[in-house]
Amino acid sequence: MEIFLQLLLTGIMVGSIYALVALGWVLIYKCSGVLNLAMGELTLIGAYVSLTFYGWGFPFPVALLATLIIGAILGILTERIFLRRLIGEPVLTVIMVTVGLSFFFRGIIELIWGTDTRVFHPPVFPYEPIRLGSVVIGQVYLWSFIAAMALLGILVAFFRYTRWGLAMQAMADDEMAAMSLGISPKFVYAAAWAIAFMAAGVGGSLLGNINGVNISVGYLGLLVLPAVVLGGLNSIPGAIVGGIIIGILQNLAGGYLDRFTPGGVKEIFPFAVMTLVLLIKPYGLFGWVRIERV
Amino acid sequence: MRMRLPSGVFYQTYKQDQALWPTAFVKLRMWGLLVFLFVIFPQVASPYWLSLANLVGYTILSAMGVQLLIGYTGQVTLGHAAFIAAGAYTCAVLVLQYHIPYPLAFLAAMIVAGLWSVLFGLPSARVKGFYLIMTTMAAQFITVDFIITQYVSRIGERGHSFSLPPGTLSIGPWVIQSDRDVYYLMIALVTLSVLAMTNLARTRIGRAWMAIRDHDIAAEALGINIVAYKLLAFFMAGVFGGMAGALWIASLFAVSPEHFTWSWSLWLVGVILIGGLGSNYGTIFGSLFMTLVMEALRNAVTMLAPLFPALETSFLFIKEAAFGLAIILFLLYEPNGLAYRWWQIKNYIHLWPFSYE
Repeated sequence: MEIFLQLLLTGIMVGSIYALVALGWVLIYKCSGVLNLAMGELTLIGAYVSLTFYGWGFPFPVALLATLIIGAILGILTERIFLRRLIGEPVLTVIMVTVGLSFFFRGIIELIWGTDTRVFHPPVFPYEPIRLGSVVIGQVYLWSFIAAMALLGILVAFFRYTRWGLAMQAMADDEMAAMSLGISPKFVYAAAWAIAFMAAGVGGSLLGNINGVNISVGYLGLLVLPAVVLGGLNSIPGAIVGGIIIGILQNLAGGYLDRFTPGGVKEIFPFAVMTLVLLIKPYGLFGWVRIERV
Repeated sequence: MRMRLPSGVFYQTYKQDQALWPTAFVKLRMWGLLVFLFVIFPQVASPYWLSLANLVGYTILSAMGVQLLIGYTGQVTLGHAAFIAAGAYTCAVLVLQYHIPYPLAFLAAMIVAGLWSVLFGLPSARVKGFYLIMTTMAAQFITVDFIITQYVSRIGERGHSFSLPPGTLSIGPWVIQSDRDVYYLMIALVTLSVLAMTNLARTRIGRAWMAIRDHDIAAEALGINIVAYKLLAFFMAGVFGGMAGALWIASLFAVSPEHFTWSWSLWLVGVILIGGLGSNYGTIFGSLFMTLVMEALRNAVTMLAPLFPALETSFLFIKEAAFGLAIILFLLYEPNGLAYRWWQIKNYIHLWPFSYE
């Protein structure tokens, strides 16, 4: 039971980071219809940028702020240079451009930062774990959870209460109507990419605090895909719930199934779950069901 | 894209119209190409060029399955390396562990890879588009990163990789060990596969696949059993993948999961996008272009290395970034790929000097 609680709590906390990155993914999809496979590389960029700033001696919150700003600039540039030309192109073209982007980003990242694992030094969060009854949690996880939850809250509030957030929601809901109300689609697409880069960047720097930064953080960023499939591609609550569920399932699988196999279950389990979801309920928990007729 | 005929050529029977090589000139050209590939090239080429040719051939065979799925049937796959790996490992395990002759293991590898591909093609009966991409991606991670790395690699206590000492593989008395031997096997397989693929596209099966690609609901209304033909496409793509995998182990000293990463799956999709979707020319041009350009890049880096020593170590990263940029630029500026350029050049020559229209 203790082990279960331990795994569950760790799962929720890691899952909240996935939820943050997944939110960025869903945002791009809802606003511009782009299915982005470069999400893993966006988290990597965030992780390395914050690591670099931290390495220069800035305190971690400042490094995080710098990550946000650089993420926003990169997001707007990416949208402006590559994706704006692709509006209305076939799905495969758009997806493959994001695949091309992921190769491009990864090559550049490896060129700049190399492939060795780097850690935040000195560690941002104390190693001393926190005890909640019989459950032990690393401070890294707790703070990551708090940061991810705070950002999720800010983003949700942004969509609900600000003019820009409402404009983005309107665009996601009905492009034509939104345009006739004077909302610029160019602005919305750029904002969606900027927010996705920012969310992925923060997610990446938090994940980097947990395990150190190397190319495998990009793999963790890919886990948003099972999360968004589980939650439903075009649902913001779905992304949050899906991310947390994937985090929990991954940790439970690592804890309970690993002993029956030679290893590697933890990495693969989210994808196995995703395959099952696709077979049974392809539109996820909260996604729109599309029925096609001639 | 129907090729324009050179002036002065008229068909008088349907048989002429349907012929694979319609005119005497085309026949001559194709036989010339075959003689060059089978006789002249392996005699004059240095080992370096032979190994490069083998890499091109492997890429062609690997990309052919991807072309079949994406270019002909419209089922996007981002996990084809999984099926190549299934073929390679089936062949390696059968040869090393059970001492089954290479040709039989080769056939088994093709069938196993085909069936494995059908297994992950099953969701295509229910989902399509992005959702199918996700299942093929899952196929990649489940097959290579889990089943092969954790289970198959441990068969026979060989550790992480299966080593294949030279001389392990032989077809009857013919021992395949040098690059030249692999080249002969490769070129025979590539020729057969290209012919098979060309003819498949001209028959009922190929037409059905293209109908599904162009509009699946309309295809169903025409009486095409969509699920059966989709699964057949996955099976054939897996068979081509298994063939590529079983061939590739002949030119490797050891098989390990690192040969079949997700990047390789994405690379194959990039190859056919750059070459051109929906034609054999696309597969061949894409494979040639990507392999040769990357090799040229490597040579350029090696030449510049004395000036900039940092380049040597970072070649792989430059290659990755260049590949990504190449995909993006082709999709933005030449979405029909190299095959379309080729088609335009050929038409220009056919119609010269009166290229009006």
